[in-house]
This record gives sequence, C-alpha cells and structure tokens, in this order.
Amino acid sequence: MSAATPDTALPLRFRRSRLLLRDAGIGVALLALVAFFALAAPDFLSGTNMSNILTQITINLILATGMTFAILIGGIDLSVGAVMALCAVVAGTVMKLDALPEVVAVGLGIAASLGVGIAAGALNGFVSAFWGVPSFIVTLGMLNVARGLALEVTNARTIYDFPDSFIAFGTASLFGLPVMFLLALALLALGWVVLTRTVFGRMIYAIGNNEEAVRLSGHRPFDTKVLAFAVTGACVGIAAIVYVTRLSIANPILGVGFELNAIAAVIIGGTSLSGGRGSLVGTLLGAIIIGVLGNGLILMGVTDFIRQIITGLVIILAVVLDSYRARLSRSLG
Amino acid sequence: MDRRSFVIAGFGAGMLAAFPGFARAAGGTPKIGLVMKSLANEFFKDMQEGAVAYAKKRGGFELIPVGIQSETDIDGQIAAVENLLTRGVDAIVIAPADSRALLPPVARAVKSGVKVINIDVAFDPESMKKRGVDIAFVGPDNRAGAKMSGEVLAQALGRGGKVVIVEGNPGAENATQRKLGYQDAITAGGLTLIDSRTAHWETEEANSVFTDMLTAHPDIQGVMAANDSMALGIVKAIQARGKTGAIKVVSFDDIPAVKPLLESGALLATVDQFGSQLAADGIDEALKEIGGQNLTGWIKTELKLVKGKGAA
Repeated sequence: MSAATPDTALPLRFRRSRLLLRDAGIGVALLALVAFFALAAPDFLSGTNMSNILTQITINLILATGMTFAILIGGIDLSVGAVMALCAVVAGTVMKLDALPEVVAVGLGIAASLGVGIAAGALNGFVSAFWGVPSFIVTLGMLNVARGLALEVTNARTIYDFPDSFIAFGTASLFGLPVMFLLALALLALGWVVLTRTVFGRMIYAIGNNEEAVRLSGHRPFDTKVLAFAVTGACVGIAAIVYVTRLSIANPILGVGFELNAIAAVIIGGTSLSGGRGSLVGTLLGAIIIGVLGNGLILMGVTDFIRQIITGLVIILAVVLDSYRARLSRSLG
Repeated sequence: MDRRSFVIAGFGAGMLAAFPGFARAAGGTPKIGLVMKSLANEFFKDMQEGAVAYAKKRGGFELIPVGIQSETDIDGQIAAVENLLTRGVDAIVIAPADSRALLPPVARAVKSGVKVINIDVAFDPESMKKRGVDIAFVGPDNRAGAKMSGEVLAQALGRGGKVVIVEGNPGAENATQRKLGYQDAITAGGLTLIDSRTAHWETEEANSVFTDMLTAHPDIQGVMAANDSMALGIVKAIQARGKTGAIKVVSFDDIPAVKPLLESGALLATVDQFGSQLAADGIDEALKEIGGQNLTGWIKTELKLVKGKGAA
C-alpha cells in the first residue's frame, strides 16, 4: 500500500515542502511573465490594469475552483460553460418577475442560479458514480442538455435591463480591489480549507489517487463523488451571477468554451489531469497566468492570431514543465 | 427487416435521391426547404420564425425549415441539404454556413432541377462559376450597412478622431464585410484607426478585450462594434472606466437589448437589417423561380440606420 501511495507515507513536513516546491515553480513562471510584460508594455503594471486583470479572471477563477474538485477526484466537468448559461438565464428570468418586490426577486434569482448549478453538478456526479461511466462523457451530454434548456427557456433571446441595485455589485470595489474578485478569492480560500482540513477533502484526494484502495478500506466513494461534482456545480451557479451582475445581460449562448479555460487554469496550476495530486493555490496561479497572458499580449499590440498561438503554446509548455516537476519530486521522495 | 427487403428499401431511397423530380411529381403544392444556420443565434431564430409566420399567412406552399447545431457546423448543413433533396423539395432557400463548402450539394440540386435561392451570406462567385451555376442572392449589403453606422461616429467625432474596431469571428463573411464597411467610413470621414481586434461576437470577451485596448490606448474616442452583443460589453467597459459619453460607440444588428443604450445615448447608432423578413423575402423569390422565372445576381434587401439620442 505505502509503495503505491508514497505521498501519504512521508512525514507531513516533507509533503508540505514538496507541495510548496510545486507551487513555487508556477509562481516563478508567473513572476517571469509579469516581469516580461512590465518591460514590454509600459501600462501593464499600472493600478488600473492590475484591477482590470483581476476583474477579467474572476469568472474563470470561480469556475476553475469548482473544476479543481472534479479533476482532483479523477473526473472532469465539460458542462460548466453551458450550465453557467442555464444558471444565468434562469436567474435572469426570476429577477425579471414583476410580481415580486425587487429585493426578493434578486434574492430568489441568486438562489435559483445556485440551485440549478448544484442540481446539474450533483446529477453529473450521480450518473457518473452510480453507473460507473466516465464523467468526461456524462458531462459532455450535460453540456448539450444545459445549452438546449437555456435556449428553450429564453427562446434564444437575450435577457436585459436588471435592477440597478443588483448591477452595482458587478463593478463595485473594496480597498481598491473588485468586490467580485474578493468573492472569488474567499470562495477559493473556503475550497482550500475544505480540501486540506476536512474528511471530505481527504477522501477526494484518496479517491483520485486510488479509488479501488478506498473501496477496499471499507469506504464508499459514491457520496464523495456526487458531493464533489455538486461543489463544481455550486461554483458554476456563483460564476453565472457574477457574469450577470458585471455585464447586465443573460443570454443562452454565453460561456461557450469557458470549460476549456477553467481546465487550462487547473492544469497549468499543477493539478494532475488523472486526479489525486494538486492544489487550489496552483489553480489561483494558473488562472492569473491565463489572465495576465491575455491582457499583456493585447497591451503589447500582438495581433489576435498570434495571441491565440502563444496562449496555446504556454498551456503545452506548462504541462511539459509539470511532468518534469513531478519526476523531480518523485526522485526527491 | 431481412436482408432482401433492406436492399430494396435502400435501392428505393437511392432512386429518390438520384431523381428528386420523380418524388416531386407526386405532390400537389410546392415544397420549399429552408436551410438555416444555428437557431441558437437570436438573429436566425427571428428569421426562421418570420418565415414560418409568412408561410402560414401566404399559404399555397409547404415550408420545411431545418437548422444546424452551431454556426460552423458545415457537415450538418450539407447533410440537411441532402435530406431535403431526398424529401423531394421543389426549392431550397439557404443561408450557407460556408460560402464555398456548401456549393457542391447545392450545385447538384440546381442541376437536378431544384430551384435554389441564397440568403444571408452570398456564395463565392468564383466557386459558382467553376461549378457552372449562377444562384440568385437575396440579402443585405453588410458593408454598406456598417459604413452607414460608422459614418454616424465619424460625424460625431470629426476628422482626426481616434477609433478602434471590435470585429466578429475571423473568417465569417459578414464579419469581414462589416469590418470593410467600417474601414470605408474611417477613410471617408478622415478618422484614425488605432487598433482592430476580434471578440468573437461575444459580450464578455468584448468587455475584456475593449478594456485592454483602452489601457493600451487611453486616447480612444470612438468604437465600431461588429454586432450589438459586443457593444453591450463595450458600453459596460466604458462605464467601468468612468468615460460614459466621452467614448462613443456605434454597432450593428438592432437587437432589443440595446434599446435602453440607444435611449440613454450610450450607443450612438446601430443598423437594422430586418433579419426576420430575410427568409420570407427569399421564399418569395423561390416561388417566382418555381413559377418559371430565372433569377440571378444580388437582390438587395432593406437596411435601416437606427440612431440613438446621442447622434446628431
């Protein structure tokens, strides 16, 4: 057993330092990127631009936080972009109900978004765990179901004109930082506590490492799996609200391809695509790297097509470097 | 089904596909197939609903509308055309997902006697010549429309005004035409184009991309957006920077969501291309062809400049 899971066999102090080493590697990459853009684009380091980057990465950071749970447990969620659109249009429809007082309508809309997200996530987890089918294909199906439902609910129309009191949150700032980013950061911190300090969190890592071993030791992975995907869904519901409050619209075609950015942030952040290894600190750094890259290249005046090529190359580079880091930490062990 | 009847059924289906005229002779009222792009797009959804309503009102023909999954689902659209031929339609009205890739099945339809009317995005003239067909195009002049919208901005800013363009999907014909139209307005009005980038027709991406353009070029005075969805994100970015009114925006499409922006002056102008009537117009032309007329060239449809409160 201990040979199969060397991580847990090591003293705690050792494990920590190796995790730190892993995150430090991504941190160095981020610092190098920031230093490069600071030299190449004069406005990059300005306070306004820093604040813009934080706003721009907020939605991806929330989605990536949820995605980390799905990937750590050995799964993946391809439905987050489509489910986000469904959450947004359901929330938007509820918020526009004239029969309700404004505050109640907004509150119910937020609750509905969370509810739809959690329900979709739990359903993903349930189908995948109960019938033992890969979450890759279950969530691919959910992607189509959610997108279709979102179109059906709205008849393909854009919902607009939301209460000002709700829209104000989208662009509000606190201590010079965007409120929505602080919310995303708080969510990430909460997720970090859950993953590192609770039984549920330890079970996620254990299942991601070796599901069979968890089963043989007398635990049922089923509940943990459903719950992990429900957490992914809850994050999607929150991201949808952030979208609506920031852009004041909800349409059924929003969020196309967002799942890919979220997965990229998680993987660049050093979480293993096969599960069991990684952290939310890495995900935070991964999301920042993607955001800084997109922003910095525009500021430098790099054209659209070249920007796309560079972003792709950085993702490939990140996973290649990660394979070296994994080898290094194994040899240290 | 045993093997023998399977072969016979297959043969029968093959005959129908090979000789659509054979299947057609059976019906009384003409059948018109309407091949749309993605119905997830508000614009095409409106267009299809307009066509269905028109078919009900006008009567005298059967309308078979088909859509595809996404804007770029070229294979899906080719299959849709082939299915319509199997069903023995008399005419096809098509908004092609690609101006070249759809030509082979469509040219085959023309040669087998099916009338074809092209709407929304025109087939490539060279490819048509190579296939020996000349299909009539019914649609708006996107380039002329964008020029009208861009000229409102040019008038508001005066010569030397600094502007950026936020483009649609690279490679999409209407995105290309609108960019050309905006460039026409820039040249005619003596504006200075600082930067031009795509935001893939999308609100959130337009918000981020324009925010970054504004950081790189704080002296931007005007924006030309290739569609209204992106204009929504751009206006939000301008508000967030506290530059409402200082930076002027024009756009294209006239979706309901931009009405408040036109009223508040946050959006200077947009263009209505009467998308809901476009398919119905195409059906009219198809009926003319079924009636014996032979149509070719570009039958231009109406475009209307919609000005907001802020425009002169």
